[in-house]
Amino acid sequence: MREALRRVSLGYLVLAATAVAYLVVYSSRLGRFPTSFDYLSILNTTLPLVFVAIGQSLVVLTGGIDLSVGGIVSLCVAVTASTVSTSALWLVAVLALGAACGAVNGLIVAYGRIAPILTTLATLSVFTGLALRVLPVPGGSIPPQVRHVLTNPATPTGLIWLGLAVAGWLVLRRTRFGMRVYAIGSDEASARAVGVPAAAVKLKVYALAGLCAALAAVFYVSTTTSGDANAGAPFILTSIASVVVGGVAFTGGRGSALGAVAGAVALTLVIDILFFAGIDPLYQSLFQGLFLVVAVLLGTVAALAARRRRPA
Amino acid sequence: MSRRVLYALAGTTAVLLVGAILHPGFASWSSLRVMLVVASFTGFVAAGQMLVVLVGGIDLSIPWVLNGAAIVLTTSSLGQTSRAPLAVVLALGVGALVGLGNGFGVAWLGVPAVVMTLGMNGVMQGLTLGLSKGLTCASCGSYAPSPLRGLFSGAVPGQLFLWGGVALLMTVLLTLTTFGRRVYAVGVNPRAAFLSGVGVRGVTVALYTLSGVFAALAGIALVAYGGQPSLGLGDPYLFESIAAVVVGGVSILGGRGHYLGVIAGSVTLVAVTTFLAAQRVPEYGRLMIYGLVILAILFAYGREKAHD
Repeated sequence: MREALRRVSLGYLVLAATAVAYLVVYSSRLGRFPTSFDYLSILNTTLPLVFVAIGQSLVVLTGGIDLSVGGIVSLCVAVTASTVSTSALWLVAVLALGAACGAVNGLIVAYGRIAPILTTLATLSVFTGLALRVLPVPGGSIPPQVRHVLTNPATPTGLIWLGLAVAGWLVLRRTRFGMRVYAIGSDEASARAVGVPAAAVKLKVYALAGLCAALAAVFYVSTTTSGDANAGAPFILTSIASVVVGGVAFTGGRGSALGAVAGAVALTLVIDILFFAGIDPLYQSLFQGLFLVVAVLLGTVAALAARRRRPA
Repeated sequence: MSRRVLYALAGTTAVLLVGAILHPGFASWSSLRVMLVVASFTGFVAAGQMLVVLVGGIDLSIPWVLNGAAIVLTTSSLGQTSRAPLAVVLALGVGALVGLGNGFGVAWLGVPAVVMTLGMNGVMQGLTLGLSKGLTCASCGSYAPSPLRGLFSGAVPGQLFLWGGVALLMTVLLTLTTFGRRVYAVGVNPRAAFLSGVGVRGVTVALYTLSGVFAALAGIALVAYGGQPSLGLGDPYLFESIAAVVVGGVSILGGRGHYLGVIAGSVTLVAVTTFLAAQRVPEYGRLMIYGLVILAILFAYGREKAHD
């Protein structure tokens, strides 16, 4: 339990450090503190990654990995952008599509017994193909009414959705389902032995990851106001990075989706810091890569230090 | 020879046969030669990917190691034949150095392989873009030296002999040397290997270094094939290398697999893509069928054991 607390707090520490760095760089560069406009734009640009990262962290908690989130985001972006409907029912249909894609992954992983990384590698290709079929050239739009509700550029409606996502996770973690996710990730054989229906739980986890990817897609279209069938590709690696920075263990069973949320925000802030620090954008991925490795190294060092302090 | 290698070879034969029936001339030597050359690039990166997968790792840094090495080759050779050997050594050296970094991070610092190599990919991308100023630097327009470009001409291109050499090297290394036995031992059970005296860390570092070298080799071959480097040259090879390794019957959990299977896997993937292109299937269809073929192959021989 203490280990779990420590891992989660790592994600928050990294976020706090990046936030401070952001404030320092921003204010020394522009001679004033960020305004509410800056905070709002950070919030709105982070939301898609936040949702993908929550979904990815659920999968990683079971000891898996989901590369197909990129394809699901692309597909749902394509569907959302290529239709002009203000009906809330339509958005629900997009979310259902994402969940269905995720469920396909879950079925193959849980009942087909194919390793998650391979399953989702194959379905990534299938989903990306579908996205290209729906939206062959970048374009499309989103009704202003939807944009007004989801990522309003004037008022922080995004906070409501972020709050709902966090609340959803807090509830989910305390349900029987949530406990089972951790049980499977910690030791699948033992979980099965005590009667956890591992296959059914995994199916739900992948479906939820698909749902999160669909949510991310809706918010993506809402912030960028257009769609692209390759929109999801960058989310594959950034969602994994968020989960890692957020202190979720790749071996499964340890960490929290909230850590991944913190990781996602921190990763977005790093890009802003680099921008305000006047660093050539060509070097951007260099610093992101270093940030990723250093954040994880800090976690390892902290774990070692904690082990030394504790009497054997 | 293991059963999985036979499955992989059978898969390649099946794809080529179906292709030959539906598209006459598909399996002719002239068409096969093109496919083999294209497959050799996948074969190179997959050699490195296979080595790290054998010990339960993964190398996500392949795309930008490949791209970086390709740019190092042309900018250091400036298209001059006399500078070609030096340029090749430099490019391979960059790959080895990055691989060494990966191996050090994974084996000594205990960073998970996914994180270490993902971070390294970002570092290499940033360095490549930044140092070449987005491939706009003065020497960035250079071509690959002509001896390298000569690898792709002739009835049997020299590139295929090079691939044959890589295949021989991989097979000898993995099946006939002590090092090879250690690799499989670490892959099956690192703890047991460690307790029986295998230097697990040393083996891991060596494998990641080799993976970097193979990615650089693929970069050299690709730039020799295309003449000039481009940005994003290596991007398709990240997932392609993993797919080739798995379609080739290597267990993603480590400890099992042969390079002969990976060769078959590379050819299968390229044959599928070539066939779909020849049939004028639009891109979306190609992507979907490609994914479905990989799934079908996984269902045929990539399933894990039942838990009960």
